[in-house]
Amino acid sequence: MLVLKNLPRSPAGAIGLAMLLVTLLATVLTPWLSPWDPYALDFGAAMQAPSASHWFGTDNFGRDIFTRVMAGAVFDLRLALICVFVPMAFGVAVGMVAGFFGGWVDAALMRLTDIVWAFPFYVLVLAIVGVLGASETNLYVAFFLVNWIGYARIVRGETMLISRLEYIEATRVLRFGRIRVMARHVLPNAVTPALVYSMSDVVLTVQAIAAMSFFGLGVQPPAPEWGILIVESIDYMREAPWMTLFPGLAIVWIGIAFSLLGEGLSTALKPKG
Amino acid sequence: MMNRLNFRAVLLATTMSLAGLAAQAETLRMAMGYDPVSLDPIATSDNGSIWTQLLIYDTLVRPDATGEKLEPGLAESWTVSDDGLTIGFKLRDAKFSDGTPVTPQDVQFSIERAASEDSGWGRFYRPITSFEIPNDHEIVMHLAEPFTPAFNNLALFAAAILPKAEVEAKGQAFFDAPIGSGPFVLKKWTRGSALELTKNPYYWQAGKPAVDDAVLEVVTEPSARAIKLEAGEVDVALDPPLNQIKDLQSKPGVVIGEVIPYRADFVQLNTRYAPLGDEKVRQALNYAIDKDALIKGVLYGAGKPAASAMPVMAYADPDLKPYPHDLAKAKELLAEAGYPDGFEAEMLVDSGIATQRNTAIALQAMLSQVGVRVKIQMLESGTQWETTKAGNYQMSLSYTTSDTIDPDQIIGFVAVNPERANAYHTEWKSDRLNDLYAQERQTVNGPERGAMFQDMIRILHDGAPYIYLYHPATVWAQKDYVKGFSVLPTSNFRLEDVTIEK
Repeated sequence: MLVLKNLPRSPAGAIGLAMLLVTLLATVLTPWLSPWDPYALDFGAAMQAPSASHWFGTDNFGRDIFTRVMAGAVFDLRLALICVFVPMAFGVAVGMVAGFFGGWVDAALMRLTDIVWAFPFYVLVLAIVGVLGASETNLYVAFFLVNWIGYARIVRGETMLISRLEYIEATRVLRFGRIRVMARHVLPNAVTPALVYSMSDVVLTVQAIAAMSFFGLGVQPPAPEWGILIVESIDYMREAPWMTLFPGLAIVWIGIAFSLLGEGLSTALKPKG
Repeated sequence: MMNRLNFRAVLLATTMSLAGLAAQAETLRMAMGYDPVSLDPIATSDNGSIWTQLLIYDTLVRPDATGEKLEPGLAESWTVSDDGLTIGFKLRDAKFSDGTPVTPQDVQFSIERAASEDSGWGRFYRPITSFEIPNDHEIVMHLAEPFTPAFNNLALFAAAILPKAEVEAKGQAFFDAPIGSGPFVLKKWTRGSALELTKNPYYWQAGKPAVDDAVLEVVTEPSARAIKLEAGEVDVALDPPLNQIKDLQSKPGVVIGEVIPYRADFVQLNTRYAPLGDEKVRQALNYAIDKDALIKGVLYGAGKPAASAMPVMAYADPDLKPYPHDLAKAKELLAEAGYPDGFEAEMLVDSGIATQRNTAIALQAMLSQVGVRVKIQMLESGTQWETTKAGNYQMSLSYTTSDTIDPDQIIGFVAVNPERANAYHTEWKSDRLNDLYAQERQTVNGPERGAMFQDMIRILHDGAPYIYLYHPATVWAQKDYVKGFSVLPTSNFRLEDVTIEK
C-alpha cells in the first residue's frame, strides 16, 4: 500500500498510471463512444479517412478503426498481462526457493534456467508456437515456458542477499517455519525488483505478441489484435495510412505508459535513507 | 573558339553514339511475384517456373492468344486420324539456341521423358504408346486406345521439346543453363532475385523477339512491384495490388491491362467432416455468400462470380448460373440438414496473399450470418497444400488455374475421385461424373464431348463440394511505351512480339 501512496509522487509514475487508466476507461466505454461494430463489414464505407464519425478512419472492409483499436486493447492487454504475471508468479517462487535453500536445489533450478536462457527469446517463442500451431492458447504456453526465467534469476539473487540479513537470522533464532519466513519476511522485499522489471517486460511482451500476429503465428483474424491490424494494413499503406498509423500508435502509447509506470514504481519502492 | 566547337561536336557525337547503343540493346524489365523453382518442365507445377519455361522452350503446338484454339509451335502442321489413335506432326526448320536443329528424335525423347516415372505429369502422356520417325521432319505418335486430351496435352509446358543429346549428357545440370528452341535463352539466374534472358539468335520466327533482353525480377511484395513500375525500375509489373489499380491508372505513362484467365477460386469443403458431408449444408454455404460484394470489396471489381470450380473455358455452359445470395434459402437448407443454429468450422488460408486473407475475412463475416462460425487458420502456402492433401482440414480457401485450353485437365483435378487428387481433396464422389469423365476422354472433339463436360459441371455445381466464389482477373500495370504485351488466358505471357517504343 506504500507503493500506491508513493506512486503519484513520482511524476513519471503518475503519468504512466494516468495513461493506463485512460486506456482502460476508453476500452470500457467504447460501446458508448462508438456506434460501430468492430467485426461488421461494410464495403460501401471502405477506406474512409479519419472524420467526425470515424475518428481513426475505416479499413478496407469498412470497419471503424477506432472501435477495432479499442477492442484490440482488450486482446493485447489481456495477453500481455497474463503472459507476464503468470510466469512471474512461477519465476518468483522458483527464485525464492533456489535462493533460500541454496545447495543442490539452487544448482538444479539454476541450470534449468541456464538451458532456457541459452536460446534467444524470439527464436524460442517462434519455435514453440511453430510446433504447437498458431492460437491464443499456444501463445500462452510459449510465453509461460519462456517468461519466468528472468524473474527466477532476479528473485534468487535478492533472496540470497536478504537471507543473510540480521532480521532473517532473527527469525531462525525464533524458530519460525521456513514457509512463513519466505512468505512474510523474504517475499515482500525480494519481489520489489521483479515488479519493476515486470513493467518493462509488459512493454516487450506487447511488442512480441504484435510481432507474432504479424508473422501469422499469434491470435487469428478477425480478432482486432494490434499486430493483425498492422499486418492487414500494409497493402493499403499508400492510400490509407491511418490503417497502419493508429494501431501502431496504440502500441507506442501502451509502451510509454508501462515504461513510465515502471520508472514510477522503482522510485516509489526505493528504500529511503 | 574552334576548340570549344570541336569539343561540343565530340560531346554530341558521343551522346548520339551512346543513344544508338542504348537503342540497339533493348531490355524489357518485368516484376513478377513468383520465384521459379526449377526449369525442368516435368518437375514443376508452380507458375513462376511454368511461365519462365514457356519463354525458353517450345512445344509442338500451343494455345493461341484467344485461348480457344491451338496454333502451330514447333510443328508446322499435323494430322489426327479419325479414330484418334494416330497423330502425325510435320516439324518446321527450327534450331535450339546452340544452333543444332530440332529433330524428331528430340521430340520423341522429350515426350517419353514427360511420360516417365520421374515426371509429375506422366499420366498426361502415357497414353501415347509408340513413336514412328519416317524422316528428319516428321514424327508419328500412336495411342493404344482413344484418349482425346492427348493432342491438347502436347501444348502443355511439360511437353516442352528439349535437346536429347544435351539433356542425356548433362543430366539435371542441364536445367541450370538450359537450351531450348524458344524465343529466349537464360543468361543469368540469381535465385530469389532475377532471371536474365537474352534473345535466341536461332529463333524460328524471323526477326523475333523484338527486344534483345528480358529481365524477370522476382518481387514478392505486390506494393513493391507497383512502386518499382512508378519509379521506372521496371516496364511491366504483374499483379499489382488490386486496391491500387485506380491510383496507378491515373499516373502519367502507366497503362493497366486486365484479362480473366482460366482460373476459379473457391473454398474446398472436406466432405469427410460431419456437417460438410451433407449436400444441403454445402449448398447452404453457397447460398450464404454474396459474391458480388466479394468482387467489389476484395477484388475491386476485377472478376466475375463463379458457378463452379471450373474456369470458364471451352465447352462452358452459358446457362449455368452461380448460386444466388439467398440467406433465407441458406438457413432453410441448414435447418433441413439438422443444423438450424449452424456449426463451427476451421478454414485454412494462405497467409502470404492479401486477396486470400481478405476474402477469408469477408467469408467469415458472411457465413456468420447463417450461424456458421468459421475459425481462420493462416498458414504458409506449402503447409496449406500439405495439410489439405493429407485430408486434415475442414475448409480451405484455394483456387485452380488451367495450363491448357482443354477442360479435361481441370475437371480431372477438381471433380473426379480418385483420379488425380480425390476431387481436389474434398473426397466428394459422383459415379455419374466419373463415368462421363471416362467417356469424354474417348470421344472426339465436338458437341457430343461438349455436352459431357456441361453435364459434369452441372453435377459439380449441384453437389457443391466447394463454396464457389469468383473468377478473378489477372491485372498488370505497364508503361505506355511497351507495346504488344498481354497475359494469356493460360495465365502465362509471351514476349517475342513485345516492342519498346520510347
